Amino acid sequence: MDIVVALAFNGLVWGLIIALIALGLSIIFGLLDIINLAHGDFFMVGTVLTWFVLEATGNYWIAFLIVPLMGFLMGALVERAVIQPIRGTAALSIVATFGLSIIIQEVVRAGFGAAPKRILPPIEGTIPLFGIEYDIYRIFAAGVSIVAIFGFFAFLHRTKLGTWMRAVRFDRDTALAMGVPARTVYMVTFALGFAMAALGGAVAAPITTVDFQTGVDVLPFCFMAVIIGGLGNLPGTVAAAVLLAVTEGIVTSFTDPTVARIVSLCLMSAVLIARPHGIFAGATR
Amino acid sequence: MKERINRSVLLTVLALLLAAPWLLPAVGFDYWLDILAEILIWSLFAASVNLLFGYVGLLSFGQALFFGMGMFGVAIGVAKLGLGFWPALGLGMVVAVATAAVAGALAVRLTWHYFAIITVVFSLIFYFIALSAKPLTGGDDGTSFSMPPMLTLGESELSLTDQTVQYLFILLVVGFAFFVKYLIVRSPFGMALMAVRENDVRASLIGLNVYFLRWIAFVVAGGFAGLAGCLFALFGRYASATYMFYHVSGEGVVWTIVGGAGTLFGPAIGAALLIVVREELSNMWEHYPILVGIVVILTVIFAPKGLMGMWNALLDRLASPSADGTKKDEGPREAIETAVAPVKGEAGP
Repeated sequence: MDIVVALAFNGLVWGLIIALIALGLSIIFGLLDIINLAHGDFFMVGTVLTWFVLEATGNYWIAFLIVPLMGFLMGALVERAVIQPIRGTAALSIVATFGLSIIIQEVVRAGFGAAPKRILPPIEGTIPLFGIEYDIYRIFAAGVSIVAIFGFFAFLHRTKLGTWMRAVRFDRDTALAMGVPARTVYMVTFALGFAMAALGGAVAAPITTVDFQTGVDVLPFCFMAVIIGGLGNLPGTVAAAVLLAVTEGIVTSFTDPTVARIVSLCLMSAVLIARPHGIFAGATR
Repeated sequence: MKERINRSVLLTVLALLLAAPWLLPAVGFDYWLDILAEILIWSLFAASVNLLFGYVGLLSFGQALFFGMGMFGVAIGVAKLGLGFWPALGLGMVVAVATAAVAGALAVRLTWHYFAIITVVFSLIFYFIALSAKPLTGGDDGTSFSMPPMLTLGESELSLTDQTVQYLFILLVVGFAFFVKYLIVRSPFGMALMAVRENDVRASLIGLNVYFLRWIAFVVAGGFAGLAGCLFALFGRYASATYMFYHVSGEGVVWTIVGGAGTLFGPAIGAALLIVVREELSNMWEHYPILVGIVVILTVIFAPKGLMGMWNALLDRLASPSADGTKKDEGPREAIETAVAPVKGEAGP
């Protein structure tokens, strides 16, 4: 029973981190109409940057603060260089982000190396929790993710830029006519998506491996959360990410992880076909 | 003039391909015969992506599923069931087409982004199944087999173990598949597909069964990808789950876009170019995929019609300097545009 509790908790922590990353994926889709196949690699860049900053300064907390900022800047750069020129051709945006994913992975392989590395958790020790000893760092990671997710929703609803972002998503043409600076909104959205994935990477780096290929594993999971929660439905995305990860965690304690993954993929296809707007959408499409 | 130039280029390339087993050793490039065979196989795979994206407007990131099914059909047929050459090939095709028929019936209910995502999901499901079904598929390590003879006549037998025979067999099969694709594109069925691509609402208004057309195209494309997988299994004498991963599908999409979607030979050109780049560069620069990624992004930004589109535009401009390349579209597409013109107005989503 202890193992089930531990794996369920692991699933919850992982689900919250995934929710953070998937929110980025979801706003990029909702606003820019782009399926971002490089989003998993944005996460991976976050873990790798954390490793580099840790190597350079010896302090995880510096990485924790500046990696999201670096992600934001890189996101703005990528938006300007790759995304802005292809705004007219929605179908091909998938192809462009696939190319982007190839470039990011290969640059990281060249600069960081192909061998996976590990980062030690900056907070050590365990505390008793529901009859098991649980890592303090994982609880911290979950806390950071929750704060970041709430922070993001506060940004979306309480700031001018956030309101603009919602306005453009709600009705692009009217928003433009009302004088919302669309280019800035697009750039900030994409940069924010990158920053959230990078923050997810910084938080997750001590509990996963740092490897140029981790993005490939994370991407399908984020897509599942976004699809099951409903494309563009942000609270739905968060709920779906947590739900999926906890379910996979519990299923994993009974059978092997691959089977758990197959089960959630089948669930996702069922949702895509039967309820393409997610399980939380109203009965009307 | 454009047709004449393109036809003579095609015939020259075909003649060179046929003569390659004798030409290449003469100039000391024996090693390239296998690369040429590989290019042919991957062109067929890209043709499968192209049939869906270029002619029906459905971007599939899951064609590797059918490629892998073809591979495993052949490999398991030979290694586990002890089948001969032709029955194994048949098994590979049946498995691939059957998978495409089932997956397609579900997938073509969706379009655009949703279609792209569900094709990825389907191929991921089978990828994980193939990984975990180790006793049958060998998982990551794959299944290898020894080549059964293709034809036995008394004492002598014809087998793909002979490099030249193998190359010519692949050339013949791929050539035949491209001919079939040509016939499809030219047929009323192909016209209907393009009508669906241009505007599915209009297509359904003039009485076309959009769902059925998309499904048939999906199955045929799955068959092409499966055939490519069968050939690749025979060529490499093994099958592995890694070829089912969506990155393989992605490569097919990249070749198609770079070469020119919606043209008969564009994807083949894209595949040939990028595989030659890989063969030439991978020894010199380990990180050559960076270059591939840059080429992909530049193509999407500056030449969304691909190399073939650029080539055709160039020929058009040479033929009539004043036209300034504004009429780049090929005949059939325009014919459809005019045929559906009366119902202008309610455009699709």
